[in-house]
Amino acid sequence: MLTVLISGLAIGMLYASAALVYNVMYSTSKVLSVTSGHLAMLGGVFGAWFVNTLQLPWGLGLLGGIAVGALFGWLTEVLAIRRVLNRGEDHLWLLSTLALATMVQQGVALWWGTEPRPFPRLFEQNFSSGVLDQKFWLPIGMTVLMAIGLELFYRRTMYGKLFMAMSEDAFAARARGVPTDRIRVMSYVLAGGLGGLAGFAAGQLTFAYFALGLTLTLNGFIALAVGGLGSNLGALIGGTALGLLSAFASYWFGGEYQQTFAVGLLMVVLLVKPAGLYGSLKVRQV
Amino acid sequence: MNNLSFLSDRKSLALALGLLMMVTVPWWAGNQYQLHMAALICVYWILISGLNLVIGYTGQLSIGHVGLLSIGAYAFAILAGKMGWHPALALVVAGALGGACGLALGLPSLRLPGFYFAMTTMAFALIVNELVLAEVDLTGGGIGLPGPAFPAPLDSPVGFYYLAATLALLVTWLSWNIVRRIWGLGLMAIRDNPVAAQAVGVPLFRVKLMVFVFSGITAGVAGAMFASLQSYITPDTFIFELSLFFFVCIVIGGRGSIVGPFIGTVVLTMMPELVAPLAKLGHFFYGLLLLLVVLVVPEGLGRVFELLHERFWPRPVHNDAITPDLKRLARAIKDQA
Amino acid sequence: MNQSLILPVVSGISNPLCSTESVLAERKSSLEAVNISKDFDGVSALSDVSLSLQPGQVHGLIGPNGSGKTTLLNLLSGYYQPTTGSILHGGLELALSSVQRRAEIGVARTFQKPRLLPTLTVLENAMLGAWSHKQSGFLATAFAFPQVAREDKQLREQATELLHGMGLGYAIGRPANLLGHAEQRFLEITRGLLMKPRFILLDEPAGGLTEHEIEHLGSVIRTLRDAGIGILLVEHHTDFVFRICDRVTTLNVGKMIKRGTPDETRFDPEVIRVYLGA
Repeated sequence: MLTVLISGLAIGMLYASAALVYNVMYSTSKVLSVTSGHLAMLGGVFGAWFVNTLQLPWGLGLLGGIAVGALFGWLTEVLAIRRVLNRGEDHLWLLSTLALATMVQQGVALWWGTEPRPFPRLFEQNFSSGVLDQKFWLPIGMTVLMAIGLELFYRRTMYGKLFMAMSEDAFAARARGVPTDRIRVMSYVLAGGLGGLAGFAAGQLTFAYFALGLTLTLNGFIALAVGGLGSNLGALIGGTALGLLSAFASYWFGGEYQQTFAVGLLMVVLLVKPAGLYGSLKVRQV
Repeated sequence: MNNLSFLSDRKSLALALGLLMMVTVPWWAGNQYQLHMAALICVYWILISGLNLVIGYTGQLSIGHVGLLSIGAYAFAILAGKMGWHPALALVVAGALGGACGLALGLPSLRLPGFYFAMTTMAFALIVNELVLAEVDLTGGGIGLPGPAFPAPLDSPVGFYYLAATLALLVTWLSWNIVRRIWGLGLMAIRDNPVAAQAVGVPLFRVKLMVFVFSGITAGVAGAMFASLQSYITPDTFIFELSLFFFVCIVIGGRGSIVGPFIGTVVLTMMPELVAPLAKLGHFFYGLLLLLVVLVVPEGLGRVFELLHERFWPRPVHNDAITPDLKRLARAIKDQA
Repeated sequence: MNQSLILPVVSGISNPLCSTESVLAERKSSLEAVNISKDFDGVSALSDVSLSLQPGQVHGLIGPNGSGKTTLLNLLSGYYQPTTGSILHGGLELALSSVQRRAEIGVARTFQKPRLLPTLTVLENAMLGAWSHKQSGFLATAFAFPQVAREDKQLREQATELLHGMGLGYAIGRPANLLGHAEQRFLEITRGLLMKPRFILLDEPAGGLTEHEIEHLGSVIRTLRDAGIGILLVEHHTDFVFRICDRVTTLNVGKMIKRGTPDETRFDPEVIRVYLGA
């Protein structure tokens, strides 16, 4: 029972980190990128490749995972966002990020294989450690650290404040001399790195698996929608709620209905409060 | 919707030629396999022409229609196979069920903003697959179900092809009727300028829902035909990437067109067969294609032809002054009442 | 629509000044904002504003930027709901009615930046206006019932006539994204006319037009008025407003500061002070 709780919390935190990634990308581009889940997938897959296949020490593997994530974040901005935002046509970015996400997921499948492959043990620990197993505490700890780190970044650093300025009103920010294009690239690189980090931390829980990309994109989105777009606290709460719901639903009804329950939660929240717990959907049309 | 009459004649000619080709496929198709391909294109087109109204005309980015295809296929396989119903009846019920599920999906999701809507449709596709795997008693789970054939003479490849082609033509005719009248204008208004659509009285949600349900019905029918054509269905057939395939066919062909997505369907279905290395790349290739189209010609390849046409037969642009004919105006207003 | 014109005229003959019948009849056919206030997140955009738009009348709405003109227009056309006050048509409360419902009732509007469909032709853009009174449903259209083709033909003819009347006949087959500024504005008005409107609310239609084009706009507006349509003209070109309007309402920072004839408004000291200048 406790295991169910902890594993639900752990996977929920992974979902929350995907929601955090969404938030960072959204803040500077007003785009919700389909590639958000794939960043974590890359972190897990490449982490496993660096440590298991290339036999690198896990510290380097971690840096490698972050680097790959950051690289893919940058690629997302360059390929799927930059040219598309200039066009002015709404929702073209949905198509371009979807295309890129598909490419990376299928590309990884072709290279890494379609079976989930093992992720290395990072610390010496007995496999029968139960609820204290690092595969649970790594993602939980990492996501909390990420959320705290982001808050400090936004409040205490110059760049963080620039992010927030852009998020409030990109046009005004540019008028005041903020290099919005560069800031946007930075935010995507940052989001990518965070995603890679989260994927690496959760690798022992999820295994290195190509299909994780789309699943995380969806579940991360559900966490985001429940918690409210733009709110990092909401991301944590939404992710936790989703993770716990999935875990307990699996426990009581069998694992075959996981996705159904998750989407059920989403639908209920969207019907009752479409903006989520802490979000706000402000649309000024005329 | 083009007022250059010489082009209309050319278009009619092209259309007649295309129809002729369609009708005579069994004669010039090289072998059984190619006939099977032709039938598959027709079956895909049944779904895609309905989906085209949703994506290409109303601008709702639904990436979950593979779920509706799956529902139609399994309904057909269960009713006509396990329960021994007449395949024609099972086909009709599959279509109706597709429509009903389209309604159930569209009701909560069509009010949501673009990304939320897309994700909800994607979630729907994943849920359908999950439920199919879970309800083993009903659907055979991972093992799948056989897809029954239609009674003779529709059970032969040629017979089935004609059934598929007839349904494809029917759905094309229905959607063509919608898009060329004021309904088509309303749909495109929702896509391009919802504020303007509201201003002229278009009930946004209701219209989006109607079109979505229509696309559900066509998806259900396509699913039933698909099950029969492939003679065996498993959950692996209805992966999310198939939705992406439908999506790319439409986006490549261009929005606001019926011919464009049709050509897109034909080309994309046949490409892995014609260009062998592409088959290995599979869905990576569709992703790449989508990205290229979005970056280079987001209006679709149909726009490329338009641009080429403009280059060689430029439309003369007069800069006339606006001179109202007030008497005519007054009379026209009076005649309206 | 013609019926509602007869009553005030008849009662006007028997008792030219303020008979109850004429007031009631006026009320019956007018579009009114009554004591409207509108707040946005605590900021007051309009404060106790009233305006009565009569059929067959051109009513100007002027004021400096930020005075609430477009807000009032948006309230009348249904994009906003008033915080307090009523929107009445024929005495019936409209404030909770949707934009689409108002289109059905016969309230048409144009936008400051014309909202057209760029890939469609001028004719198609105009035809869109007829949506709210089309008879053909989704299924009838899909199955090509004969009435659909008939209705379509009739609609095309009406739209063509109106476009020629507006002076856009030469551009009927042109895609809307190739139109010049004035053409776009005239097209939007034509689309509004296809709604068979009782009222047209024009949001700064003269913006960006040459003197010549403004003259044409004026003559078009007069023709619409003579046909019995009530026109609200939100504008900055005050000469134009005073030339063609029958009544003018002036706003300033969300409050109404003058309501009267063009001459009364033009020489009002308050209006001159806040808006017209020396």
